[in-house]
This record gives sequence, C-alpha cells and structure tokens, in this order.
Amino acid sequence: MTAAPIYLDHAATTPVRPEVFEAMAPYFGPRFGNASSTHRWGREARAALDESRERIARCLGAAPDEVCFTSGGTEGDNLAVLGGWRVLKAKGKTAIVSSSMEHKAVLQSVHQAAKEGAEERLLRSESNGTVSMDDARAQIGAGGLALTSVMWVNNETGVIQPIDELAQLTKAAGGLFHTDAVQAFGKIDIDARKIPFDFVAVSGHKFGAPKGIGAFFIRRGTPLEPLFFGGTQDRGRRPGTENVPYAVGLARAMELAVEEREAHWITLEVMRDRLEAALLARVPDALVHGRGAKRAPHILNVSVPGTDSESLLMALDLQGVAASSGSACQSGSVTPSHVLAAMGVRADLASAAVRMSLGALSTPADIERVAELFPALIQKARGLAGVA
Amino acid sequence: MIDDTCHLDVPLPASLPAGTRPRVLVAMSGGVDSSVAAAMLVRDGYDVVGVTMKLFHDGGEVPDRPCCSLESVNDARRVAEHLGIPHYVLNLQDRFGRDVVADFVAEYAAGRTPIPCVRCNTFTKFRDLLTKADAIDAPFIATGHYARVADGRLLRGEDDAKDQTYFLWGIDRAVLARMILPVGSMTKQETRAMARELGLITAEKAESQEICFVPDGDYVKVLERELPADAPALMRGPIVTLDGTVVGQHEGFARYTVGQRRGLPGGSHEPLFVIALRPEDRAVVIGPREALLGRGLIAREVNWLVTTPPAVGAAIQVRIRHRAPPVPGTLVRSDVGEVEVMLDSAVHAISPGQSVVLYDGDVVLGGGVIASGRRVLPVRAA
Repeated sequence: MTAAPIYLDHAATTPVRPEVFEAMAPYFGPRFGNASSTHRWGREARAALDESRERIARCLGAAPDEVCFTSGGTEGDNLAVLGGWRVLKAKGKTAIVSSSMEHKAVLQSVHQAAKEGAEERLLRSESNGTVSMDDARAQIGAGGLALTSVMWVNNETGVIQPIDELAQLTKAAGGLFHTDAVQAFGKIDIDARKIPFDFVAVSGHKFGAPKGIGAFFIRRGTPLEPLFFGGTQDRGRRPGTENVPYAVGLARAMELAVEEREAHWITLEVMRDRLEAALLARVPDALVHGRGAKRAPHILNVSVPGTDSESLLMALDLQGVAASSGSACQSGSVTPSHVLAAMGVRADLASAAVRMSLGALSTPADIERVAELFPALIQKARGLAGVA
Repeated sequence: MIDDTCHLDVPLPASLPAGTRPRVLVAMSGGVDSSVAAAMLVRDGYDVVGVTMKLFHDGGEVPDRPCCSLESVNDARRVAEHLGIPHYVLNLQDRFGRDVVADFVAEYAAGRTPIPCVRCNTFTKFRDLLTKADAIDAPFIATGHYARVADGRLLRGEDDAKDQTYFLWGIDRAVLARMILPVGSMTKQETRAMARELGLITAEKAESQEICFVPDGDYVKVLERELPADAPALMRGPIVTLDGTVVGQHEGFARYTVGQRRGLPGGSHEPLFVIALRPEDRAVVIGPREALLGRGLIAREVNWLVTTPPAVGAAIQVRIRHRAPPVPGTLVRSDVGEVEVMLDSAVHAISPGQSVVLYDGDVVLGGGVIASGRRVLPVRAA
C-alpha cells in the first residue's frame, strides 16, 4: 500500500482551519442578514462585519476605515494597480514601476494600464531573485511616476523584496506604493505604521480562510478609482453585498496567523532547510532558486538539470506528493516560469523547476519521505529526459 | 454489449510481480477513440494514467479540433474524471513546433507535400510520450489509433475504413513492445457504441480529418504566417506544360499539390492537373490525368518495423496515400534509409513528401517519405 499523501503546495492554497470554519458557521444560518439592512438581522450582520474589519485592521497596523474586503489577491492587485493608476493618470502621471517577477495579477493589470496609456517600467532582477535596487532608484526617480507595485514575497521562489526601501523611494518620488502580500502575510510582519505603503493585497485562502475572500489595505486619504460600481458598500471602493461569513472567517484566520507568525516561521524554516540540505546532498547539481537571497521559509523551488517539471510533478503526484511548478495555464499544462526567466535562469533549468511549499499540514516525517523519494524520481526522469 | 474477451494482444511483462497492475500512460486527445481506449484499459485492470498533449497555442485561432483546443483538454479531463484516473496536460508546444510544424513548412517550401501526422506520431506521440512514461514507471503507453500490435509487430486496424497504419510507419520499432492500441481491433461504430454504453461525454463527438494545427484546412495561411514574405515558395512563377510551354503564372508553387485540378488555367480540351512542382525555377507543371501515372518510387528516411526487412525482389503491398488500398509491388532496391519500389500497375499522383507504407498482408513492414515517383510519361526538366 502507498503511504499517506503529502501536501507540499501550501503556496497554492491551504485548508480552512477548524477555528475559522467554526467562527463562520453561524453566519451561514441563523445570522444570515444583509449588513446593509436596517432591521435586526441586518444589524447583527453589520456588527459582525464591523468587528471583523477592526480585527483585520489590527493585524495590519491599520485603522478600520483603511480595510476593504475583496474576493482575494487578484482583485486586490487589480484594484491597486488600475484603481490607483487611473486616478493619477488624470493628474498627468502615467508611469508604473513594477517587476518582471510579479504575479500575473499584477503584471496583467500593469499591461492593461499600458493599453490605457501607462508607461510600463519593469525592474530587472538580480540573479538571486531580488529586484535590482540600482534599477529601482533609476526607474522610480525617472519622473512621471504614478505607482510602484512590487510583491513582498515571490510566490515561486519565496524571495523577499526590500519593500520598505522601495516604498520610501516611491513616496519620495510622489508615487503610490502597492505590494502584493499574498505570500507574505502570516510570514512577515506587515505593519502600516512602520512602512509607508499605500495599498496591500492579502488573500485569505493562503492561511486557512476560504477561497474567495481577501483583505485590501488603502491608506487613509489615498485616491482610488473603484473597479466595480453599484453600491456604497466599503465606502464605494468595493460595492456589492458583503460576504459576512467569509469576512468573519478571514478575521479569525488573520488573527491566528499573526499570533503564530514567529513560531510558524521557525517551524517551517527548519523543515524547509532540512529538505533543501537533504536534496542538495543527494542531488549535488540541483539548483535552488533564490538561494542567495532572503527567503520566506515556506517555499523551496529547485531545478535538476536533465529533468522536466511535467514528468517530476506527475511522478510525485502518482507517489502521493503534491507539488507544483511555477505557474499553470488555463488548460492545466505547465508553462515556463516568467519569474525564473526574469532571474536569468536557463530555459532548460526553468522548465525543470519544482516548487514545494510547506505549511500547516507539513510534518518532519513528510520532509524525510520526500527527501528520500525525490532523488529516486530524479534518477528515472533523468534516465531518458533530453534524449531528443 | 461490451465484448468480454480480452482484446489486448500484449502479454504482461514477466518482470512484474503477481498482482501488480501494470501502469499505462494513455494519450487522451479529447476524442472518442482515445476516450474509449482509456476506458478499455481501466476495464482490463491496468493502472491507467491519462495525459493530453498540448501541441500548439490555441489562441482562439483554431476553433475546436480533436486535440489541442481548450475544449478538447476539458473533454479529456472529464472522461478521466468519469473513469476515476489521474489526468495531466503535457505542454509539448515547443517540441511539436520544432519537430512537426517547422518541418511541415520546410517541406512545402521545398515543393513537397508533407504529412505532419507521421512526424507527430514518430516524434511527439511515441517518443516524447515514452519519456514521460519512463519518468512515472509506466511500462506501457496507449493511444486511440486504429492499428494493432501483435508479437512485437504492427498490424493494420480491423476496420479497413479507419486503419491508421499509414501514419504510424515512422515510430521506433522498440516502441512496439510497449504499445497498446485498444480500439484497433474494433470498428469505429463499435468504438462509438462502447463510448455510449460507458456514458462517455465524447461518444458523439464529430471527427476531423484535418490537420490539427491548420485552421479550416487552409495550409497556405500557415505557410504565409511562418515563411518570410519573400519566400520563393510563395512568389509568382510560371505554369508550364509537360513540354515546357509557359501557359500562365501562379502566385507561389506552395499553393499547389500534385494531383490538384482546381485553380489551373482553363481553355484546354481535356482536364488538366498539377503533375509536378519544380522549386528550381518555381514552376508548377501541369498536364493531362495520365501524366500523373507512376509505376514506381524512391523513398527516403526509411524505417523498418520488422526485425528482418524484406529482401530485394520480395513481393509486397504498397500504399501511397491514406485510405487508398495497398497495391501489389516489388522491392527492387534496399539501401540504408532508402528503398526503391516498383508497382505491378501504375497509380495516380505519387507525391514527393507523402509517405509510402509497405505491407505484407496485415503486417506493416515499414515505410518512408516519397522522394520521387517513376513516371510513365516524361516531364521535361527545367
């Protein structure tokens, strides 16, 4: 019999935590009201929503009116990039500085803005996966800056970007600063009082809340054009009937993540480092992406020469191990990673990348099993890969 | 009714411990044939893993084809879900572009008429797929082709109207030992009936005879996209008769194929056909139907699928196009990678670039790419 399956794809999504599920439950049933209604059902929902917003604000070092609910990271990124840029465009500032390693939610929003007249300035990456600060200083300072959008933690490599410095540079240049913190929340201290970002996008399902809910931070007084129209919910920044149960769940999940953050970091880092060391010991020519940079502790992205991601991911899955490659397209096929390409990783190595991401479900026993299994699968994939 | 007798001629490898279900990697295009192939393998107790090969970018340009469109990937996935087997999508766009599409374009540019499906089977389906099979410890690979494998030999499909061996001559002989072709012993009607019986969503799916990456059968559009604007194959040139008389102009010889009748100058008392394409002087040679007759051919890139290839002088059956019945002939020369074949009776339109497949009854001996035909009537050179 095969052993129990091992989930090493926490950067893709996580299970809803029991505490979160429990907190949400009443708002599907007895407390089902519409938070905009004036009757008792409405008031009950409104109270839960207000309270959730306050709790989320505390998790971000923010005021409640600086927190907006979204459907998740993609919406937050679109809202910041397009909603922020469109306001400044009207004031004659058209440049967007971003990086070529961003999640597609940011990159495609930037491309959309470019179609509407934005000047696109994508920052170069150092080979270790951090943005080039020389390039950042030049591009941010080049005039006409509307907005900078750089992700806090890269979803493929786990590399941490110098957000504080980038935000400072952007503010000095008179621009708005957005960071996609989807992989950062719960790993890194995100505090609006410490770093002068204007927008932050967070996605609930990366840390135990359900899919379809996210928190979006907008610093007080920051102009923003909404993407949706039709109501006054969330101050008109995000109209539509609020998803009260999910908002309650998100608040609970965020609080738990903040409480556990430091301990969680250490737990994950020990396991990730163990896996990394074991793989490098057994497959000495394996390449760990972002190895020289500061990295979040939950992601290990590795390429082995002479293999390909597709074969390895299939082989791992058939052995019960869930991992992923950089990004999957709509049909579910593996496409070469734009992140690794931006880091200057050779195409054949980029197409061999396997991302293993640790989280709440990970155990040291899992790590030991994968450390044994992965090198064995490499041997098979190497046997014939590259014959053509 | 599902036929209960085992249709699989492939014996299980002796090395597998008793009780182990051998793993088979089945290529699922999203069409009815490969859906049924996967279902039959599940029924027969194999450890089936399904893959759909994404061969080219489907940027809305190619509507719905048996393979490659998003719709087809979804169909294959739904069938796999129905069968309870894992399903993966393989991105082979780069390899397919290099091994198949680039060759397709180069062949037309050289005045030949290629069959991309042959190269797709040779390289993509039965080589790249095998690499994936090795990586997941699958001793077997399977497809929905209408052909059979027995005793390490490739045989024509049971359904004469559907037999696809014409496209399979190029695969590595060693692959045969690992190949399972479940629907090859059935007729198309039986395959559909089984699909209906199993409730597969692909049961009624129409089939396409077109080349998957050529939208609306308009191969010239693909050439115009892939070739430089000043490619000789797409430039104006003379239309000449067999004796060399120029009777008109054309806008690129790659727009014509041997045997074609449409689009030629009229005014002649008998129907005219494209007899040959001559890249040297960009000429399209035309003539009467009997000028298409050939009684022999030379083939290159020859691949044998039998351990002992036929000796010179052997009587064989020869097929020069899909669906045409094989005709009797003789192997008159056999060198490394090249053969010459004479036919007992002349046939029409032996086209360079097309495949020739050699048979001994049901057994596929091998095949090659037609380099030239031996004409009955002479054509004056450029």
